[in-house]
Formats: sequence, structure tokens, C-alpha cells
Amino acid sequence: MLQDLLTAKKADFKDYTELRAQVNSTQQVTLLSGNMTANAQSATGGVAARVYKGGTFGFASAAAYNHDSVSNVLKAATDNAIFMDSHVKKGKPPLPVVTGAKMDLRKFPSEPINQKLLIDFAKGLDEMIVKKCKNLSSRTVVSNCLNMEKLLVVSDGADSHFYQPRAMAYVIMTAETKDGDQVELFKALGGFGHFDEHFTDPSAYAWEIDELYEHLMAKREGVFADAGMKKCIIHPDLAGMLAHEAVGHTVEADLVLGGSVAGPNLNKQVASELVSMTDFAHTAFGKTCPLPVYVDDEGTPAEDAILIDKGILKGYMHNKESARHFGVTPQGNARAFAFSDEPLIRMRNTVILPGQSKLDDMIASVEDGYYLIKTGNGQADSTGEFMFSVDLSYEIKGGKIGKAIRETTISGVAFEMLKTVDMVSDDMTWDVAGFCGKKQPMTCSMGGPALRCDMNIGGR
Amino acid sequence: MKDIANYALQVMKKAGADKAACTAGQGRKDEFNVEANNFTLLRTNFSDSLHLKVLVDGKKGTTTINKLDKDSIDKAVEECVALAKQGTPDEAEDIAPLATNKDFDQKIGGFDAAKLFSRSQEFLTQVKDEMPKIMIEGMTAEFNSGCTTYANSNGVCFTNESESYNAGSSFNAVEGDKTSSFNYYYSALANLNTPFIDLGMTRTLFEESVRSLTPRGFDGKHVGKIIVTPAAADMLWHTIFGCFLDDFSMIQGTSRWKDALNTKVTDSKLTLRTSPLHPLIVGGERVTGDGFESVNQDYIKEGVLTSFDLSLYAANKTGKPRAGNNAWSLEVLPGDMPYADMLKGVDRGILINRFSGAQPGPSGDVSGVAKNSFLIENGTVTDALVETMVSFNLVDVLQNIVGISREVNADGYGVLPWICLDGVTISGA
Repeated sequence: MLQDLLTAKKADFKDYTELRAQVNSTQQVTLLSGNMTANAQSATGGVAARVYKGGTFGFASAAAYNHDSVSNVLKAATDNAIFMDSHVKKGKPPLPVVTGAKMDLRKFPSEPINQKLLIDFAKGLDEMIVKKCKNLSSRTVVSNCLNMEKLLVVSDGADSHFYQPRAMAYVIMTAETKDGDQVELFKALGGFGHFDEHFTDPSAYAWEIDELYEHLMAKREGVFADAGMKKCIIHPDLAGMLAHEAVGHTVEADLVLGGSVAGPNLNKQVASELVSMTDFAHTAFGKTCPLPVYVDDEGTPAEDAILIDKGILKGYMHNKESARHFGVTPQGNARAFAFSDEPLIRMRNTVILPGQSKLDDMIASVEDGYYLIKTGNGQADSTGEFMFSVDLSYEIKGGKIGKAIRETTISGVAFEMLKTVDMVSDDMTWDVAGFCGKKQPMTCSMGGPALRCDMNIGGR
Repeated sequence: MKDIANYALQVMKKAGADKAACTAGQGRKDEFNVEANNFTLLRTNFSDSLHLKVLVDGKKGTTTINKLDKDSIDKAVEECVALAKQGTPDEAEDIAPLATNKDFDQKIGGFDAAKLFSRSQEFLTQVKDEMPKIMIEGMTAEFNSGCTTYANSNGVCFTNESESYNAGSSFNAVEGDKTSSFNYYYSALANLNTPFIDLGMTRTLFEESVRSLTPRGFDGKHVGKIIVTPAAADMLWHTIFGCFLDDFSMIQGTSRWKDALNTKVTDSKLTLRTSPLHPLIVGGERVTGDGFESVNQDYIKEGVLTSFDLSLYAANKTGKPRAGNNAWSLEVLPGDMPYADMLKGVDRGILINRFSGAQPGPSGDVSGVAKNSFLIENGTVTDALVETMVSFNLVDVLQNIVGISREVNADGYGVLPWICLDGVTISGA
């Protein structure tokens, strides 16, 4: 656990200052068709300081974490802030003061996770796949955990000691089609917490493996999508990605200032009245979110950010500086991934809120369309134009699920596509598996209900 | 760094490693940041790194930390050896054999902070004056310096001292309520002699972003030609590595080219290599991740598959030759077709500057949105496009390359020409 070498330096703060010590620890085991290609662990950390002066920041970091290195980065960040202030001459006043109580450490492990747990779980899952899943051309099993510990001392706001563990297992299966092509499916398991809280007995995941294999065998016999604009049911897993990539990024205030499509659309109708979207801080629907954030890396206590309410774009996500620019209160979205990173505006737990329809009724309502279940990756643009790969999907014919579809893509413009949403399911799922990329990687969670909408499908 | 690496090796051997390898490094980054056309931050990062690999009874463990003090190294070694003992034996695991040890000097004369700042300031001023509709959403201008030593228990020892500048931006065009797609362009530089706006494709991409403020959709569905610019390198070249050449696809056996070594796999116009020693590559790698001196490597030579991109482990695992470098510095040899002639040969097609696509599966089916792209009609680039999808099979289109340009773009990371492909499905929304 990080020792507090920071609080004592608070007396040396002259301008707005953040001082952060951080360690990111990872463990990973990878079995590639049974071969252990990774048996690894890492711990990288250090200390960083960021100082605001006249409208620009100075930042410095060092890998060493001791009294001298803390003093040195504080001085280097201050020197950098003075350099920028004297050369750029923005002449802005200090950042508005944010109030907040100290946030103490939660959920720290009593002892490190033994690598043997990761190895045994990966081997157990791999053996299960070999036993249950015939006709695979390859398989990959990964056990992974990432734990982030941060100690933050700020000139105003909340000092905090924060710990966020994430444990994941990933399964990839590949099978050959009759015409010699390879089709692939991927499944992520796990979420917030330590490895032993999620993964002790591989057999607990037998049904997930069965389901993945069943989908893969269907995809092996699958057909290519018929390209064009189609009526689609978007599975909750994919709706979460849509919320994050296609809408979420456009309403990050730094991207709004950079010219994103959300800028001219504040307080305007950007989606159907059935669509509401929130970036939750730490608690949603009465439960702790998959990646709870209680205080951000600027020391702002975290609150929920309401982004879209009944189809109206209501707000953006902010850091302290953008909140001042837009005349609003920051809600704790400034987060840094590594100790050597400065906080950027990032999403936390971004969700399209559930509606009132039943998924079965939604599928039954489609005469000729697609049920889009799983995305492999997705990208979006400042214009709101998005593209997602769809690894798993099925035809819907006459209100019933039909043949599986080979790899395809979907694309559209978020604020146009969301206006076509006419049914929203009453259930939702969370996805916490990946990393969001925006200069730095970042763990984020996303989620949503099933949506019925019009979507542009790519064919072969 | 040599002393630290050698100390770590000694401790690993003493702790029971049969074979051991270590990479120790120390570096510094100085970086100016810009957001929304304005300077926002000056960063100075002091970094340390230590990567350890041990083999015990053929079982591997790897540990990475960023501390270089004796206590931290001792603890990391203890953990690494413990990892290995818990691992699974694999005869393919090994470390590089003894070769000629070398010290590499890639320094470029040190950091000129004032010049880097003034070049950055000049860039913002030029963009504002010459292309006022361009919004620099984010820019970094940085100087990186460092020293890294790789050493292993076979006696291998390489040290690389390096320095480089990196500069570039992500940007879009904004006019009233209209916004273009974002794009980006970054360069690695050995000096600051050239204004940033004149680097590589920067000016062209800015101009094209402004033209993209009023895009149109592609009418209908068409199977025809596309020209892929060097700015869209990941659309083709990185995909070839990911689908057909790398460790993963070869160990898994999913590569469609797994049995195609020394056979013709593409049109003979294509020669694809990675060239860290190319004079236009800045700060190219000198030592591979598994401890070999890096050399330039051909993968496809005049259409013939000459190598896979395999690490030492994957080479041992598959029985195929190891690649000569880490495959970071892409080079495609120029062709004999002037770019102007390439354009003239396209009756109806598109010019692609950026590709937002799915990660292709093992089949090589590529599908996605053509971004920052333009319609080509009767040999002339006309309207900017929006919501235009392209799809093709990579193996199929590479069989019949229409042309590779005589001109190349070198951005310090790679040296790439323009390429024209046929048989691509293009469809509007």
C-alpha cells in the first residue's frame, strides 16, 4: 500500500496544485491453444505533480517515490507552469475552488493475489473448452487483473486514497467454415473486484462457454449480411458500446471545445424521447457501479452526469477548467491512467437507461431485420459518425431469430440513429471488459438496454 | 544501464534461473500539449524501466517494474522466479544466443526546448492564419531521450542511447455548426529544421478536412477501385501482419498464409518490409524484444511471401524462421506509377485517408467506414464523402494491385506509397 509522503508537502503549494502517487499492478496468464505464452506480472508507479498558473498547467512525474522525488516533481511542475505562463500569457484567473471532504481508502486487498490462482483458472477453463467444444481450430484463454491505487493531495477539493481492482478472463474460440474461412468469437468475464472474488471454479462459467460455442457453431454456418439500412434490435451489450463511443465521446467537454457535433446541440433534441443517458459516478439503480469513482484526479467529488434526458442533450462531462468555461459545476470526470499521465476528461459508467419494452416483444416486432448482439471494436467521430464491428448477430425473419451472420459492421450518425429508436427494453447489462483510448488508455464501464432502431449494415 | 542489467542477471541466476534476460532503461520526456488551438500543458516525465525474463526448467516468468534500485530489483527477481516455477514447461521458450555485442548511438544533439516551443507556436499561428477553419483538437510536441540495455545469460549485451522529437496533431474543420470528421497526423523527427505545418501530409490533410465540411453520401453500391493514401496505413499493412504474419495467427494456425512461405501470395508489384535501419526512419529499433540485433526484414518481395513476423518463441513453436525486427517501421517499396496517372485510371472510386474499420478476422475480410475520403470521378478527386462503407477481402484484392505510386510519404515512423486496389465494394448509407 502507498505510504503518504504527499500531505506533508501541501504547505509548499503556491498555486493550484495536484500531487498524486500511483501504482498500477497487473498480472496475466495467456494460454494460446494450451501453450502458456504469457505468465507475467508488472507494477509500475511513481509520483506526479500538476500546477496551474495563469491558464496553463505544468506537469512532472518520476518513477521513484520518496521524499526527494516528491519534492523534485513538485518543483519541476512548478517550473513548467511558470515557463508556460510566461510564454503563453493567457492571463486567466485561478481555477474556482472545489470543496470536498477527504475520501479514505476502500477495498484494499489483505494480501497479493497468487499467480497460481490465475494459472489454475486459465488451465481449468482451457481444459473445459477442450472437453466440451469440438471442431475448434484454435482457442485462447486469458486470466488478467489490473489494480490501480492512487493517493491524491490537492490544493482544494478532496484529498483521497483510491483503489480500483478489476479482474477479467477472456475466451476466444475459432472454427473453420466449410469454405475454409475462419470465424471467431470472444467472451469477456469478470469485472470490478479481485481475481479470487470472480474466478475460483471454472465450472461456474460452463454455461457461458456452452453459449459461446453454440453461437460459434451457428456463425460457422452463417451467411453474410445484406448491406443497407435495416430495422435492427441492438442487444444491451452493443447498446453500451454505442452509448460510450458514439455519444459519450462527443459530449466530453474537451472534444466539444475541439468542435464536436454536441457543441451546437445542447438543449436540443438529439434522440428519441425514449432515450435517456447518464454517466454514473459510483452508484446506479441502487447498486455500486462496475467501476465506481468517488473522487476524480483533480480532487472533485464524483457525481452523476446527466447527458441526455428524454432525447434532449442536457450536458457535457467536465474537468475543472472546462466546467469554468461552460459555467457549470465539475462532476468528477477528470481521470489519469498512469502515474505519469495528467487527468483528462473521461467517462466512468456510461449508460442508456432502461425503458419499458420486453426484448422478446421487440424481436417479434421485426419482420425483416437483424438482431445485433456483440461488438468486437468500435470507433466514433467528432461528427457523431460511428462504426462498430459486429462479431455476433442473427437475421430476424417474420419476428423470429434466423440464421447467424458472419462478421459485419454497422455505421451511422449517432444523433440521427438515436432518433429512430422506437422501443427500449426494460432490462440492461454492463460491460467492463475493455479500455477506452483517448491519448491514454482508461478503464471504463458502459451499459444499456436493448434498442429497436434503423441501422446501416455493411455487407461483404 | 549495463551495470543495472548485469546486476539483475546475476541475481536471477543466483535465484535459480536456468536462463535469464533483462532490459533496463532510463529516460526523459519533455512535451508541450495543445487543446482546442491553445497551449495547455508542459510535461516533464522521468522514467525508469526494468523487464525481467527467467526460464526455470523450461518454464517462463516475466516481471516488469519501473524501479532500478537494488531492493526493488531483488524483490522483482524473487517474484519472477516464483512465477516461472508456477508456469508450464515449453521447449520453444528460449533467449537469444551470443552474437556480437554492440552499443548504439542514436542521439541527435540534445533537447532544444526553446526551438520546440517556437516551432509549436509557429504551427498554431500558421494554422490560424492560413487555415482558420482548422481546429487543432489536440497537439503534442515532444522530445524523448533515453538509454536502454538488453542483456542475457548467454552473454548478449546491447545498449542503445536514443533521442528524437515527435510532433503532430488530431484536428478537424469547424465552420458555424458544421464539423468535419477528425483526422490526425504525427511525425518522428531528428531535427526541428522544418515548420510542423510542412511535415509530410499535414497541409494536404488540413485542406481536405476543410473540404470535408460539406460532404455527400456515395450513391448506391459499386464494386470498383480505391486509392489508399499513406495516412491510412493501418487499413492494409497492419492488417496483413495481424491476420497472416504475426505470432498469434501462426501459433493458432489461423493464418491463411501459414503454408505459403516462398510462394506467391500477392501481385508482384508489392514488396512489403519493415526497415528500422532505413535512413528516413527516426529512432528505429536496434534490438528486438527477444535480444537480437535488429535488421531490415522483407515479408513480401515482389509478391512472394519471404518471411513471417515471428518472435524467437513463435519461430521455435512453428518451425518457421524468426523475423529480423519488431515490425514497427513499415516500408512498402514505391512502384512505377506516378500518383497523377493512378488517379487518371479511376473512373468511379474513392480516395481513402482514414479507415474506421473492424479488426478483421482470420479470413481477411475488411469492412468499415471510409473516413476523410473523397469521390473520384473520371480521374479527378471531387466531393468529400460521408457515411460511405467499403468492404473487401484482403487476400483477394492484393492479387490484383492496379498500381503503387512512385511517390512515397515518410513520416519518421514508416515509408509508404499510395496504392490503388480494385474489386472493392463501396456503398452509401
